[in-house]
Amino acid sequence: MTRVRYVFRPFRVLCRGVACAAIMALYNFKKIMVVPTAKDFIDLTLSKTQRKTPTVIHKHYQIHRIRHFYMRKIKFTQQNYHDRLSQILTDFPKLDDIHPFYADLMNVLYDKDHYKLALGQINIAKNLIDNVAKDYVRLMKYGDSLYRCKQLKRAALGRMCTILKRQKQSLEYLEQVRQHLSRLPTIDPNTRTLLLCGYPNVGKSSFINKVTRADVEVQPYAFTTKSLFVGHMDYRYLRWQVVDTPGILDHPLEERNTIEMQAITALAHLRAAVLYVMDVSEQCGHTLSQQLELFNNIRPLFANKPLIVMANKCDVRKISELSEENQKVFTDLTAEGILVIETSSLTEEGVMQVKAEACDRLLAHRVDTKMKTKKVHDVLNRLHLAVPTKRDQKNRSPFIPEGALLRRKAMETNAPKRKLERDLEVELGDDYTLDLQKYWDLMNPEEKQDKIPEIWEGHNIADYIDPEIMKRLEDLEQEEELRAKAGEYDSEEESEDEEMKEIRQLASQIREKRKLKILSSKEKDTQGSRMPRTAKKVERATLEKEMADLGLDMTDKDDSHYARRSRSLVRKRKREVSAPPTSRTRSQSASRPPRDQSGVRDAKMLKKVKTMMKNSQKDMNQQGRKGESDRHVFDVKPKHLFAGKRKSGSTSRR
Amino acid sequence: MRIEKCYFCSAPVYPGHGMKFVRNDCKVFGFCRSKCHKNFKKKRNPRKTRWTKAFRKSVGKELTLDYSLEFEKRRNIPVKYNRELWSKTVEAMKKVESIKNKRQARFILNRLKKGKELEKAADITEVKKNIHLIRAPHAGHAKQLEDKMVQKLAEDVEMDE
Repeated sequence: MTRVRYVFRPFRVLCRGVACAAIMALYNFKKIMVVPTAKDFIDLTLSKTQRKTPTVIHKHYQIHRIRHFYMRKIKFTQQNYHDRLSQILTDFPKLDDIHPFYADLMNVLYDKDHYKLALGQINIAKNLIDNVAKDYVRLMKYGDSLYRCKQLKRAALGRMCTILKRQKQSLEYLEQVRQHLSRLPTIDPNTRTLLLCGYPNVGKSSFINKVTRADVEVQPYAFTTKSLFVGHMDYRYLRWQVVDTPGILDHPLEERNTIEMQAITALAHLRAAVLYVMDVSEQCGHTLSQQLELFNNIRPLFANKPLIVMANKCDVRKISELSEENQKVFTDLTAEGILVIETSSLTEEGVMQVKAEACDRLLAHRVDTKMKTKKVHDVLNRLHLAVPTKRDQKNRSPFIPEGALLRRKAMETNAPKRKLERDLEVELGDDYTLDLQKYWDLMNPEEKQDKIPEIWEGHNIADYIDPEIMKRLEDLEQEEELRAKAGEYDSEEESEDEEMKEIRQLASQIREKRKLKILSSKEKDTQGSRMPRTAKKVERATLEKEMADLGLDMTDKDDSHYARRSRSLVRKRKREVSAPPTSRTRSQSASRPPRDQSGVRDAKMLKKVKTMMKNSQKDMNQQGRKGESDRHVFDVKPKHLFAGKRKSGSTSRR
Repeated sequence: MRIEKCYFCSAPVYPGHGMKFVRNDCKVFGFCRSKCHKNFKKKRNPRKTRWTKAFRKSVGKELTLDYSLEFEKRRNIPVKYNRELWSKTVEAMKKVESIKNKRQARFILNRLKKGKELEKAADITEVKKNIHLIRAPHAGHAKQLEDKMVQKLAEDVEMDE
């Protein structure tokens, strides 16, 4: 008989509440470091020493340097071995520190003694290596040549490696344990759990497959399930674990094998609701009485746990179809107060019922247990259920509007209520057009198909729409009438008389004349030297025209002073010798050819001459000189030619 | 379909024209052309940009307060379609438009009256000061004198007779 242990051990890792059970509650068996084989271990460490320590040493170095060099190597190797072995020792869980369920499970699977021994051996090896290193480091002080020190180091390293070679078996064993451990299902021992147990092949795995998302192998041979499997399901907004166990045969505890022991361990340690599965049809190969025997044998394990008996495979045979004695079995069970439910994993009959019952019972049980502890009062003190008191005896039932009731009724029937657009589309086929305007709710339904005008001459009609628009229009029109009567819209008479018109005309003429004058004065050449007004000869015709424009009468002006020539044409024929010309008059000076045309034969020569002149003057103009004699230099030493470094280029232009 | 108003210059924006800009505070700005859009992006105030309607209205160059302007207003309460009402509205719209245009024109005309007065005065001063540019001061004097002399002679002759 196994001892049932309920002592709650504190975990090494703190777990806050049940919600984080899956990951934090355990030692985290998945995070154990890989245990290398002895050979690999040695190779690893030695190559690391080779790489990570200095390699160059000569015999002519000072002896302390040589010693230090080799001591370093020994210490480095020792350190490495030590670290790795310590890591192994800490990673592997101490059987005393973990939850008793896992402790027992590991015992069942890996044998507690062997496990402890292996770890012990590792520990010893570690200590031995440390000692070896210590010794040889001490000896190194007496090494007086390179050769001696080297030999010492060789010896030290060799011994350490031999120690480790001897641990080959332990290391292999631990590696296998590690691999198996990491594959164990993460069962949280504290959360709500349903445990399935019974003979092999009764339908436990089928049940878990139905109820959770687990996918456990179901096969006709016994011991298909060889280890524990976990599935999760939801009930009442809570997460539940369902643990599937390998089948148990009926023999005493000592004779049980590893597989069965796992189931027993689970039964022993997990605080769960137990679902004992019985095969009513006896297809598992065991009779009902045998199953009952087993039940009675492991009855003690069910103490303090809510129990439900599942009469499985009821699609094959129901309890009522059984023989009298077999039926009696079940009636006995019920008489004892154990709930018996007929289920079938195949047809899912009764599965939900079992689930609900089991979960409810377990919850109730857990609540009871909690109530019995001392901690409950802390929580209870903080809880208060407030119930409103009735004000009077009036009955206030919920109000459901009629429309809702009708709709609910309509929902229940399957007949379509109205013709859908889709039906119409199907009916009309190609002629169908989607006309949403027919759903409009207007005051005059015959206007539904109207094309509504939106825009007129840049204005939105929608902006003018107003039920009272006609009234407002009337007001506006009245206003307008009044205004028109008051004479606002009378056009301005041309109150201008003839005089004003004349004045305007004159004014415009004056302005025009002035503009012309301004323009002509702008065309003057102000650059060159300014000739006096009298240097130009004024034509008679222009003078007379101008004056006529100004309104003076210029007809018959032959006798006027300007029309008479000073040396008039009268004297053309006879030239008096006696009176030589004393002074040149304006007219004579005007008849001389200008200087740039005197001596020039024809237009071609003139052109050539002009070009020559221009060419000779070009340079001087470019340099801004007035003429040949202008030798003034404006800037004797321009700064840009005399400042700066001598980069590429000459200094004349840089 | 709606004809929107340009946010910047208040011109009508027909569908398919212009651009819309939606700001982070969900205010929508419509523009009739890139000119207005660019001005907006330059953060110019339409009420200070002289060529926009907003400026003209704010500064009093155009008619602002008038009953005829109250007809075209965006109303938030939708009115159900009613053929009669719609047709009446279209008729009324035409009339309102004509009255509105008349009034706007009259407003501007009145505003420009002062200018006309000033023009008149300027013309008169112009003529008074600068008549010498087109007319010589003694133009026609000779003729006048001649006429006078002829008249005098004639008178003398008469008197003699």
